[in-house]
Amino acid sequence: MVNVTADTGKSQEKTINMSPWAIARRKFLRNKLAMISSFFLLTVIIISFLAPYITTADISKVNISQMSLEPSGEHWLGTDKSGRDIFTRILYGGRVSLLVGMSCTALVILFGTIVGAIAGFYGGFVDSALMRFTDFVLNFPFLVFVIVIGAIFQGQIDGLTILIAVISLLSWGGVARIVRSKILAEKENEYILAAVSIGCKPSKVIIKHLLPNVLSTIIVQATILFAGLIVAESGLSYLGYGVPQTIPSWGNMLSASQESDVLANKPWIWMPPAIILTVTILSINFIGEGLKDAFNPKSNR
Amino acid sequence: MLKYTIRRLIGMIPMLLLISFVVFLLAKAMPGDSLSGEIDPLNTNPQYIEEMREKLGYNDPLPVQYFNWVSGFLQGDFGKSTRYKVPVSTLLAERLPNTIFLGVTSLVITYILAFAMGIFAGRRPYTIGDNIIGGLNYLGLAIPSFIAGVFAIYFFSFNLGWIPYAGSVEVGLERGTFEYYVSRVHHVLMPAIVLGLLGTASYTQFLRNDIIENSRKDFVRTARAKGTPTSKIYNVHIMRNSIIPLITFLGFDIATLISGAIITETIFTYPGIGQLFLESVGNRDYPTLMVITMMLSTLTLVGNLVADILYGVVDPRIRLD
Repeated sequence: MVNVTADTGKSQEKTINMSPWAIARRKFLRNKLAMISSFFLLTVIIISFLAPYITTADISKVNISQMSLEPSGEHWLGTDKSGRDIFTRILYGGRVSLLVGMSCTALVILFGTIVGAIAGFYGGFVDSALMRFTDFVLNFPFLVFVIVIGAIFQGQIDGLTILIAVISLLSWGGVARIVRSKILAEKENEYILAAVSIGCKPSKVIIKHLLPNVLSTIIVQATILFAGLIVAESGLSYLGYGVPQTIPSWGNMLSASQESDVLANKPWIWMPPAIILTVTILSINFIGEGLKDAFNPKSNR
Repeated sequence: MLKYTIRRLIGMIPMLLLISFVVFLLAKAMPGDSLSGEIDPLNTNPQYIEEMREKLGYNDPLPVQYFNWVSGFLQGDFGKSTRYKVPVSTLLAERLPNTIFLGVTSLVITYILAFAMGIFAGRRPYTIGDNIIGGLNYLGLAIPSFIAGVFAIYFFSFNLGWIPYAGSVEVGLERGTFEYYVSRVHHVLMPAIVLGLLGTASYTQFLRNDIIENSRKDFVRTARAKGTPTSKIYNVHIMRNSIIPLITFLGFDIATLISGAIITETIFTYPGIGQLFLESVGNRDYPTLMVITMMLSTLTLVGNLVADILYGVVDPRIRLD
């Protein structure tokens, strides 16, 4: 861990001997907004994933005697139209929404990086073939095709799996393009020529020499994607084409607001998921800004 | 430039063919056909359904069906909606003007708001006004459009009663009268703002940063040294340079508006293409579904093309060939 000093004069001297990662880490730790956001996001993630240990209420059981109750001591955020506790559902919903967001981000980054790195490193025919394919995928209107493909597989395969697969399949194009352009610039450096000339295999050059140098771009991209994909999941669930209705997710809980009675008179049913979703996205965006700033050698804070 | 445009337009043809192939296969892969949902199997003679399937060409080999669909499509025959029993072109003619009206209004509002806020913040960087606008921007970028829409309906329709929460026009107004147009604008206003929220936030932020960056450049210092009034420096010298990159966003806006329209129209029950699309998915109305998917894909292609061409128009340093 780097010793964080408040004295700017001293820290200036220190930067000289620090690795780029250490500089970035220090910049990030000093960014208050980003640190608060990280703390908040971490709390949300931990609480959501520990949901079964935090609350004992049953999320699937319909309880007619407790329909649409207002917030009270027993039900902190009230109950929904089927008598299920909103607070419990928020926790479980967060688990699903974050899980979908994380797995989609991981898949998109993995696939986009592989395609982008191969296209950028080999160039020539491989590059143009892969990039034509990427353009082809990028030209599909995202939402339209997710809904159509989702409708095909509805009920055949596990709903969550298919949603994650479809969203990932249609969103890797942007990452591939960015990684390719970064690799194109990076591979012109002499250390790559040196690595190739001493006989490194292409796979080793890409993984050991090129990727670590474009990693900062990939990390920033992953943060932006994470926020975008959570929005995509909840938007689809809101429309009824995302996470199956039987599983609570923030988007699914929000879709209750499509009934005008709930929307107008029972705000406690739809407002909590709306607010927690917005604040989560906001904090992810702040973390992304902080990371971008931290990795940017020109910004001096 | 013209040569490049023509070449890109020709280059779109194989892309469109590929997309049409994918759309066709996807529509065929969806479970059931339009007959299985519509007709009660208990009351209808199975033989009759079989005959109908034969007549509609559902039993032909797939390549034949694809060829029939494409050739009909090229001749302007979009097929007949199995749900509404009218040609798809009639349905589109009814819904398309609504969506275009929504999209154009949204763009106009986006540009007005973004320019006003961007210029205001750009001229006074790091002041209270700039920080407030910056904060609003972060919020605008973080709030998903459907959440913004739901909150807008809750506050402005149900609590304050300022705006209607559904439809595109008041029922019972005669087409063409003044009240009719007022009511249409009244109905489209809130959906348009919600649809343009993301664009407004990103435009404002971009314009602000660009103005601040430009104001530190040498040509501004020269203009100041000559004694040019500050307002003229900002409104003429800097504006001209800052608008350029913004123009290229127009192409990407087309694609964003398409996806946005599906969600926004559903929230505000606004009868447009996006709502028709979701209905056709739900009703397994394949002719309509295929036409709309093709149309939206084509629009996305055109949007990307427009973006690329505008890049070259505003920045002659970029060689298009």
